[in-house]
Amino acid sequence: MTPYRLPAGGLIDRRSPLAITFDGKPLTGFAGDSLASALLANGRLLVGRSFKYHRPRGILTAGAAEPNALMTIGEGGRTEANSRATMQELYAGLEARSQSRWPSLAFDIGALNGLLSPFLGAGFYYKTFMWPAPLWEKLYEPFIRKAAGLGTASDVADPDVYEKCWAHCDLLVIGAGPAGLAAALTAGRAGARVILVDEHAAAGGTLLSETARIGGRSAPDAVAQTMAELDALANVTILLRTTAFGWYDGNVFGAVERVQKHVRLPAAARPVERLWRIVAKKALLATGAEERPLVFGGNDIPGVMMAGAMRTYLNRYGVAPGRQVAIFTTNDSGYALAADLEAHGLTPVAIIDSREDAAPPYTGKARIVTGAVVSDAQGGKALSSITVLRNGQAETVKVDALAMAGGFSPIIHLACHRGGKPQWSDMQSAFLAPGDLVGLDLAGAVATTAGIAACLDEGARKAAALLDEMSINATPASFGAVEGDIVSAPARPLWTVPGVKGKAFVDFQNDVHRGDLDLAVQEGYGHVELAKRYTTNGMATDQGKLSNVNAIGLLAEARGLSPADVGTTTFRPFYTPVSFGALAGAHHGRDFQPVRRSPLHDWARRLGATFVETGLWYRSSFFPRAGETTWRESVDREVLNVRAHAGLCDVSMLGKIEICGRDAAEFLNRVYSNAFLKLPVGKARYGLMLREDGMIYDDGTTSRLSENHYVMTTTTAYAAGVMNHLEFCAQVLWPGLDVRLASSTDQWAQMAIAGPKARLILQAIVDEDLSNDAFPFLAAREVSLFGGALHGRLFRISFSGELAYELAVPAGYGESVAEVLMEAGAPHGIQPYGVEALGVLRIEKGHVTHNEINGTVTAADLGFGKMVSATKPDFIGKAMVGRPGLVDPERAQLVGVLPLDPKTSFRTGSHILARDAAATLENDQGYVTSSAYSPHVGSTIGLALVTRGAERHGEAVMIWNGIRNEFTPGRLCDPVFLDPGHEKLHV
Amino acid sequence: MSDFRITPQITLKTALQGCTRLVSRTITLEALPEGHVLHVLGKPGEPLSMARLEGLSDGTPHAVRAAGPGQWFIVGDRAKTHSELADLFAAIQPEAFGVDQSAGRIRIRASGPMVERMLAKGTAADLSLSHFPIGYATTTLIGHIGAHVTRVGADAFEIMVLRGFAQSLWDDLARMSGEFFED
Repeated sequence: MTPYRLPAGGLIDRRSPLAITFDGKPLTGFAGDSLASALLANGRLLVGRSFKYHRPRGILTAGAAEPNALMTIGEGGRTEANSRATMQELYAGLEARSQSRWPSLAFDIGALNGLLSPFLGAGFYYKTFMWPAPLWEKLYEPFIRKAAGLGTASDVADPDVYEKCWAHCDLLVIGAGPAGLAAALTAGRAGARVILVDEHAAAGGTLLSETARIGGRSAPDAVAQTMAELDALANVTILLRTTAFGWYDGNVFGAVERVQKHVRLPAAARPVERLWRIVAKKALLATGAEERPLVFGGNDIPGVMMAGAMRTYLNRYGVAPGRQVAIFTTNDSGYALAADLEAHGLTPVAIIDSREDAAPPYTGKARIVTGAVVSDAQGGKALSSITVLRNGQAETVKVDALAMAGGFSPIIHLACHRGGKPQWSDMQSAFLAPGDLVGLDLAGAVATTAGIAACLDEGARKAAALLDEMSINATPASFGAVEGDIVSAPARPLWTVPGVKGKAFVDFQNDVHRGDLDLAVQEGYGHVELAKRYTTNGMATDQGKLSNVNAIGLLAEARGLSPADVGTTTFRPFYTPVSFGALAGAHHGRDFQPVRRSPLHDWARRLGATFVETGLWYRSSFFPRAGETTWRESVDREVLNVRAHAGLCDVSMLGKIEICGRDAAEFLNRVYSNAFLKLPVGKARYGLMLREDGMIYDDGTTSRLSENHYVMTTTTAYAAGVMNHLEFCAQVLWPGLDVRLASSTDQWAQMAIAGPKARLILQAIVDEDLSNDAFPFLAAREVSLFGGALHGRLFRISFSGELAYELAVPAGYGESVAEVLMEAGAPHGIQPYGVEALGVLRIEKGHVTHNEINGTVTAADLGFGKMVSATKPDFIGKAMVGRPGLVDPERAQLVGVLPLDPKTSFRTGSHILARDAAATLENDQGYVTSSAYSPHVGSTIGLALVTRGAERHGEAVMIWNGIRNEFTPGRLCDPVFLDPGHEKLHV
Repeated sequence: MSDFRITPQITLKTALQGCTRLVSRTITLEALPEGHVLHVLGKPGEPLSMARLEGLSDGTPHAVRAAGPGQWFIVGDRAKTHSELADLFAAIQPEAFGVDQSAGRIRIRASGPMVERMLAKGTAADLSLSHFPIGYATTTLIGHIGAHVTRVGADAFEIMVLRGFAQSLWDDLARMSGEFFED
């Protein structure tokens, strides 16, 4: 016999049939069904194959802990493997496929593994596939992965959108069962900001499966009335289909909302999943308890189900589990199922109660066998009988469904996510939440409270108490009398069922049976953490929700300990699997990271720039022209043009920091290693910033615009870092200095105008006299432009080594000014140039960037030794700059590199060897930090950090690229390849 | 000096040029004029009085916004001339310094009944009216982008962002608002 839909009852909408397919076969369910209930209603007992032995598996639970009924749902990019049928809402057109089987669910070749099971126990892989070692990656692992494993992820891009969201509340209630609803109602009525989350589509938790009456209403009606009131409260946010998956520092909870996982075609404008980060002043965990399976032979045969789940299918979904139902229980809860079955005309074949002294509140007709166990179940793809063992006497009972009621484990996972360890209670026969929780309390079954009335009462009281801590007055909500309440005493644990002959599964998902745990103990892996790894118990998608406590109990018995001594493995987020889509949110593809656009971006684009990403900035790399077929042609032209005429380069992305205050000069004097105290107003100075350890941190120019106002430029890469560094210096190191800082990077469109014609071009728009006398090298000041129509900042500084200026104008006018300059410069041959040309120009002049300032170099290494003041009383880095290691004469120093044959080349990153030395790392003398083709030198040129480089100019060396096995004979030289006297700067 | 002088028509290009106003029943996004944004750098520990700061504004409600300890932004829709800025900065010295950020900071107004819901997709700040009252401002992240957020109405916020990030933030806000444009 098979499960079937009852003719009436349940909370499903029988007027709304829904057509679905399972393994391609059409089935029908109703609105309100889960996929699991629909499968059962259609008589589908066999829904999957097990992970390792490919044993037939049926539906075990009705909730999040389901280990067996894992399906692949959806098609193409919407394929979702390992979906729990128990959690999947039914929708029209749902396509579900079973997993871990080939060629079909009913006939699975992998089931042959079952015949080999005596050899496939725990540790089999570790012991068997040790040699030959190379075959592990090439043969064993791929084969094992193919043979085992769960569903397969799609390699098609997911077409749907995901998003993340923050929420804040006074009280977060996790779980909308009796305790959670009472808590939410209490807090909601008190006016507190409440968020109520529940992982199911409908609130109510176990109340939806209950036959008890609350305040004269059915339990589901009481839920509906409560939800209607909560829904009407503006201060209450209800998040259904939302699983709280983790508890984090700051009382932040992670939750994932399945916004559109219950529809066939999600609306494009809304996410399919939303990741919530909920900041709660207080939180109440009302997550209930998980029913524990019983570990007897064949407990995984389709037809064996948790007793609570069976109640849910009966009462909520109107599905009978079979016609000959037996119940194996260790406590009174199993009798509630018996009563429900009888209410639907299904008298249980037997209730097998492990207690000798059972005295259940049961008046039904079922045969009760106390002091007995189900030692084994029989059947293949469906349960056919069970063996009942009592006083050593075995009896075979014909059944088609068997319920297991092994007691309850509070769902305390979230309470343990911040390092607290669960505590074993002998009295409750369960692991309880840590006792020192801050900001989080528990109510209901998760706190071992039994019975609806008690849970309602505790939820209301706990909520009121938490609100009281926040000075919010609340009156605990009341719900009236509860009729038909079932208050079960804690179950005495039954870890080892006697007389077992078949495989008694502990972890259904990982095919871990009792023998595996025994083996782990025998072989020295009895510690709970070792046993987990040795047997795989508690791994994979369900993380041992059903199996862990039983495994701990069995380990405890095998080792002669209490479960308290065995302890648990570590609880970590996530409570249930969270999709990568939800974790990534919207930040993928085009939105992976923001783009930072220069105010001259569109100007450069109109001129045909090719852009390159530098951090978040898009910088113009070069400006190809018609007829140029390689980037090098374009760059060579730009470089030659700058030195011959003039070029305009966008340098807006350089960091700019305003430094103000009466002590700004002293501040800079301490930040930089060189002197800044006496920098005159209207002048710029190159500055070197060291770290505390004496290495160079960053370089740039700082200009004094007025007595107490400076502007610092930083490298593009270090703009934010330097700003943070300066803030740290101002706020922490020297709070007594009067200095204030502001980033003004985005305020200015800044352009370098470089080349012998630069002055002529600039003078066309600058109102001040730019002659060398009036505006000499390193002059820096605000200037009037266009006859006073605009004001900007002009700096006579040069990265190219040419006569050059940097002009900053308010960003909104950047494009317009650049266009005017190009127009004014046209007669003088101006061309735009990009960062590639900029790089060539600076290497030709031996100017360093962070290629050279790589965190391991000192000022002296780069030839800036004189910029480390010997007279200043203090500056950052002073204390450490004289360490022996930093003044070692063997240190690598900046040097130029040229190929001996100009027709040959070398690459950045190549290493320097003595001319005839063997190519070994022992002979490595340094490496090329920057290189480029110089159209002026006529060959590749490079900068390198080489041992004693400064005193080895002229020495022949070998430039070695070990990765490409390239050897280029070369020569060390002065790093300044052009205009060594820097005369062009001063023309 | 060169004899060649040009006096062209220089023009302002706004950072969000082309970003049209997005309006639905529950959300409106609009780029605000690139008027003025003055960054006032007070001396830490010696705050300027609000009366003095407000006296420097153009009178727009909530024009003065806290921007960290001892710092404020003063904003408005009308661009200040160079001399107006100089006068303003002179007026706050020596107690404070002023930095012109009018071109460096872009303002976007987000409003409508769903504006808190929309912004909560990006910021960890608690935007509820009781915690984030009208006139309150903070610096926060919206997604990956740093922003300065001010509540300017029960259902209205002004978001100020670095100019370079303005387009990306606009795109993000439009995406975050997507579900509120369904109808």
